[in-house]
Amino acid sequence: MPLNRLTFLTNLIDLFTSTVSYEERLANFVYLVARNFNVDQVLFFGLDKNRSRLFLNADSRKSVLRPRLEFALGEGIVGQTAQQRTPLILQMSQLPVQPENQPLLALVPNVQTLACFPVADDNFLYGVLLFISRVSREFLPVEKETILIACRMLAGNIRQALLHEEAKKRIAELAVLYEIAKATGATRELPVLLEQVVSISAKVLNARGASLRIVDEVSQQIHVSSEYGIVPRDVPPVGTLFCEKPLLTGELPSITSELTNSQGEKHYFAGIPLNLKGHLKGMLCLYDKMGANHSFQQFDQENIQLLQTLAGMATSSIENALAFQQIEALAAKNARMVNILTVLHDISAVLMTTIEMDKILTILVRALTFKNAMDYDRAIIFLVDKRRQLLVESRHAYQPSAASTLPLRQALLADLGNPEEATPVGPHPIEVPLRPDQGILAQSVLFRKPFHIMRADQHPQVNQQIREQLSGQEFIAVPLLAKEEATGVIVIDNHFTQRPLDEEDMHFLTMFANQAALAIENSRLVETIEASSKELTLIRERMLESDRLAAMSSMAEGLAHEIRNPLVSIGGFARRISKQVKAGEELKWHELKKYVDVIVDEVGRLEKILRQMFDYTGDSLGYFREHEINGLVEDALTLIHRDLEKYNIQVVKEYADLPPVYCDERQIKLVFYNIFQNAQQAMENGGTLTIRTFPLEKKDGLYAAIAVSDTGGGIAPELVYNIFNPFFTTKEQGTGLGLSIAQRIVSRHYGDIEINNELGKGITFTVTLPIAKYCLLPLKNSTSGTTSLEEV
Amino acid sequence: MKKILVADDEMSIRLLYSEELKEEGYDVITASNGKEALEIVSREPLDLVILDIKMPEMSGIEVLRQIKEKYPDLPVLLSSAYSEYKQDFGTWASEEYLVKSSDLEDLKAAVRRHLKN
Repeated sequence: MPLNRLTFLTNLIDLFTSTVSYEERLANFVYLVARNFNVDQVLFFGLDKNRSRLFLNADSRKSVLRPRLEFALGEGIVGQTAQQRTPLILQMSQLPVQPENQPLLALVPNVQTLACFPVADDNFLYGVLLFISRVSREFLPVEKETILIACRMLAGNIRQALLHEEAKKRIAELAVLYEIAKATGATRELPVLLEQVVSISAKVLNARGASLRIVDEVSQQIHVSSEYGIVPRDVPPVGTLFCEKPLLTGELPSITSELTNSQGEKHYFAGIPLNLKGHLKGMLCLYDKMGANHSFQQFDQENIQLLQTLAGMATSSIENALAFQQIEALAAKNARMVNILTVLHDISAVLMTTIEMDKILTILVRALTFKNAMDYDRAIIFLVDKRRQLLVESRHAYQPSAASTLPLRQALLADLGNPEEATPVGPHPIEVPLRPDQGILAQSVLFRKPFHIMRADQHPQVNQQIREQLSGQEFIAVPLLAKEEATGVIVIDNHFTQRPLDEEDMHFLTMFANQAALAIENSRLVETIEASSKELTLIRERMLESDRLAAMSSMAEGLAHEIRNPLVSIGGFARRISKQVKAGEELKWHELKKYVDVIVDEVGRLEKILRQMFDYTGDSLGYFREHEINGLVEDALTLIHRDLEKYNIQVVKEYADLPPVYCDERQIKLVFYNIFQNAQQAMENGGTLTIRTFPLEKKDGLYAAIAVSDTGGGIAPELVYNIFNPFFTTKEQGTGLGLSIAQRIVSRHYGDIEINNELGKGITFTVTLPIAKYCLLPLKNSTSGTTSLEEV
Repeated sequence: MKKILVADDEMSIRLLYSEELKEEGYDVITASNGKEALEIVSREPLDLVILDIKMPEMSGIEVLRQIKEKYPDLPVLLSSAYSEYKQDFGTWASEEYLVKSSDLEDLKAAVRRHLKN
């Protein structure tokens, strides 16, 4: 059948513009060519991507089993045609058959002619078309020309198909990347994100398994990881592979590798590093790309490129998620800190409400165990017993089974007096001697150090008693420190919940212990102050009593001295009279008269002394009358004149005429007696006592002023303000009561005592007492407050 | 006749002592203070002195000191209403320390004792 060129080319155009697939077009093309050119068989060999070998792609005879035929470039008629890009025609009858062409001759028996045409356009060769004929056959120039046209059309069609294929792939990749972007943008949860990245990567590449590990930059440990599908366990893990590489700096290249497991099976993997700003963040690994017939294949360069793009996108999302995770962790930590600080603040506010030790301890153990406070399962407080050098268990508590519904402050204070809670320590409280060899609790106090013990049963330093209580658990012991001194120790654990204890617990317990120690210290101080105050009151009373006794005994002694002389005289003369009368002599009347006069005088003197004494010490009921102040001063002076003489003290008196003062005579005498005594005691080596009385006009009226000066050198200026305080004295034997009593009496008389201390010279006491007239007539003369002394 | 000086600021005591001692047969001179007593001691030849301790101008202890300085052999008896001066070293130079009493037998016995020497 002669070639109908027009019909053939029309058929070709129809074929190439049809919508059938590329493979089908190729099959139809070789069939069409074989039929039109009347040959036995037409084959198409395609050039591979590496442009080095030609593979059989299409056969005009639709045999069930297509033989596997391939040629290198330049090998046999197929290779030579491809290399030279010109048609080659071999007649078997003319030439000896080349061994390279032998496989072709095996296809059909008795081949006579082989003709091979390049399939190429202006730029590229896509393959060759081989004609096989069992009859010797020549190709006319018009036939050759037609075949070459058909080959060019095929080349164009192949190029289109390749472009189409490429475009489809790119679109698929874009779709994958879109999926990844969608997935990474949708979540900030790191585990979810990683899961999506590995699953999408594995699905896109049709890999059997995938894993993604994120490495912590600081510790270089795996921080999080995610896996999908089957990750071979018995091949060296990728982690070891990429840990061998320099970490953290520089961009790590992607790796593809082949590993053989213990059963001799081959596995393939691709490792894509996740790099961000030059730092290695982690590794995305894919295992065993699945090929046809469930065989495993190596990942090719295109796969790697896609994975790299994918990894790049995932990296920044992972970085964001990591940052977000850190922020969330920080926020959670902050929230916890604020919560704990609020709790501590509440506890400290509650502790302020009491100074009773029992209540403070109850509040402390509640604060340690309440759910809405420190939230520990159990707490024990030990306090130091200084006297016995022991740590004594003072309070322990368990977390209440039902959480209180009250706010913390109220809950801490509720039913504080409850006796059950006030004495929860059993009949045998734990006691630990305060020595360094007595274990953790003693050490905590002695070294003022907190301890965090992980396994109480295995720690050699934990006391046996405590070990039994804690039943082999983690616990914390924190010392109670107040002013550099440890007053006890707090022990807590989580016996029931087994919640682990950490650095933060230590930190907050230390803060808590500081507050607790202060509260306990304050309570102890108050107890001490109260005890001291009671003791002081007792001492004061005893001193007052002994002072009264001393005053009485001193007075009795003075009395004895004053009456001995008159008694000696009276007794002596009485004996003389008695002797004369007994002797029966003639009585010498003038002598008797002399003796009796002495007796009478001396008795009178005794009576006077007694009067003075009892006026002075008599009942303390106020007996107010008008008195001449100079006279009272003089009386007081006579009470002390003996001592003034004894210590060689000169007395200088300057008395002014003064109107009477309304006062209790005995009390005012006592005032001056005390002032004189004070002056005398200041001048034990002699000196001068100056007494000056004068009128003094003050804002509220006229006063009688009595200034008493000594030459005893005065006292230190800082002591002046104490001089009227009871029991204040600078003398070895003074009671310190005299001036205090004097001041009290004077103020009872609406007067004043002023002191003028001149260091090196002496002290002047100035007593001012209101003039009687103004005291008696305060209302009538209230407008004449400026009346001068002359008018009075 | 032995001559005795009695020094006391209390007139009634001077009178009582001199009456009693005269009755015993002594010649008695009196002084009302320490200074006067020293004048008499320096002026008159005496056999014994009786001194009160608490006297104006000069105490009996000072008088005793001055007498013993010049006339260590002149016996001096101290006679006081107070017993606590016994603790004063100054009184230890005297022959005897007597607390005043209306019964003068002790005093007279002491005078006799010391006049013998």
